[in-house]
Amino acid sequence: MAHHKADASKLLDDRGYGGRLIRGQNPALLFETGVRNRITQSYYWKEQCFGLNEATLCDRAAQIKFIGGTTGVNGKPTPFLCLAFKLIQLVPDKSVIFEYLNFEDDGEESDNEGDKAERNGEGEGDEDGDNGIMNGGRVQDPEAAGKRGAFKYLRALAAFYIRLAWEPVEIYNTLEPLLSDYRKLKRKTKEGYAMTYMDQFVDDLLTKERVCATSLWRMPPRSQLEDLDLLDVRESPLQGEVDAMDEDNGEEVEVVESESD
Amino acid sequence: MSNRQGAYGGTNGGDTSFRKTWDREEYAARAAEHERKQKEEGKARYEAAASGKKYRRRASTPPDARETEARSHRLDVASMVGKTMLVPQGAGVGKRGKGAGFYCEACDLTFKDNLQYVEHLNNRQHLVATGQTGEVTRATAEEVHQRLLWLKRKKDEESKGEVLDLDSRLKLNKEREDQEREEKRRKRNEKRRKTKDGLGHQEIKLENDGIIDSSTHWVS
Ligand SMILES: [Zn+2]
Repeated sequence: MAHHKADASKLLDDRGYGGRLIRGQNPALLFETGVRNRITQSYYWKEQCFGLNEATLCDRAAQIKFIGGTTGVNGKPTPFLCLAFKLIQLVPDKSVIFEYLNFEDDGEESDNEGDKAERNGEGEGDEDGDNGIMNGGRVQDPEAAGKRGAFKYLRALAAFYIRLAWEPVEIYNTLEPLLSDYRKLKRKTKEGYAMTYMDQFVDDLLTKERVCATSLWRMPPRSQLEDLDLLDVRESPLQGEVDAMDEDNGEEVEVVESESD
Repeated sequence: MSNRQGAYGGTNGGDTSFRKTWDREEYAARAAEHERKQKEEGKARYEAAASGKKYRRRASTPPDARETEARSHRLDVASMVGKTMLVPQGAGVGKRGKGAGFYCEACDLTFKDNLQYVEHLNNRQHLVATGQTGEVTRATAEEVHQRLLWLKRKKDEESKGEVLDLDSRLKLNKEREDQEREEKRRKRNEKRRKTKDGLGHQEIKLENDGIIDSSTHWVS
């Protein structure tokens, strides 16, 4: 999109936008006008997002209890979406986003050898997860041990931002390791809450067109980037499972567990 | 981070109470800075005069302007809930002077609800009135890391606190149960003794005098 309408830019900032760009344009355009307006008119935005920088944003993200887009008849934005928009406004340095994504308490004693395994490493699955992460008999990956990305909603927020703001090769390379993070995430829906998982959320980000009330810009499919030798062929740790699913020819099953609160 | 306290209470005087929390050192530093600025200005004035020009003071940001920071506390809305308020005329406009509602001391304005109040706190006029630049410094990855470390420890401590809390609650419950069991046992014994010995009501009462009146309940 080489141009955007004058009235839209006026809406974003009537004195003209002079901040960081994302893929050559005003980052606010990554959100739809309606959603953007509902965010900037929300009380959460005005009270909790005002004056945040990359560090103080963590305070808010650490308090988030669910992901989601907009809810209710008025399309009220979730804190998650408001903070995502704040990130869009800040356009933090990549090193900051990596910190959100992969934060590790380096001073903490590690009682599991597996936790120390490098990302993408061939380390054995760590079976004795302490967070009840074991899920459907899947083998736990160091990624999911809860040490890396200790604040899971901050991690989800960073993943969402990366999908919106970064380049395709970076997106695949950065987000795919999260596909072995099986921690639960609560998701606010129109009606209430549903349960999802980090890997499911990241998978949505990589494959769906719309996540959390936001249209994801069309990025080239992985196969195309592989053909261009921009990406290595991904050896999924769950390849066997994926094959089995393909054999089932099963449709995507969404796990929905209603929650009381 | 600054450690300014909840400066946003609807009743405790607007957005400037942080000024009161500045310590002596900070005042001293500010005073020194002010003195330096004055000296500079004097020098500039002198140089301007020497070169035959008229001195114009730079109308830049005020010397004590500070950067805008995120709120460190929630606005105190709860304390205002359920109170009857006089509603100023005109939506979005604060009423001059202190009244019922959300009062901003710096601007001497009262707002009828928290939304209008927070909108005011964010607006240019208020930022200027409270010596804020409206600009926020970016944080580095290292600062973010330190922040997360702090949040992590805080979280760990809180969950530890919850466990401790749970433990003490369980202990308390157990003590109470033990007490009740003991009480029942004693009552049972008394009842048994009474039936066995045929002792009267009064004697039992004497025996347990001052302890508890349950014996009377039991007997009668
Ligand atoms: Zn004010």
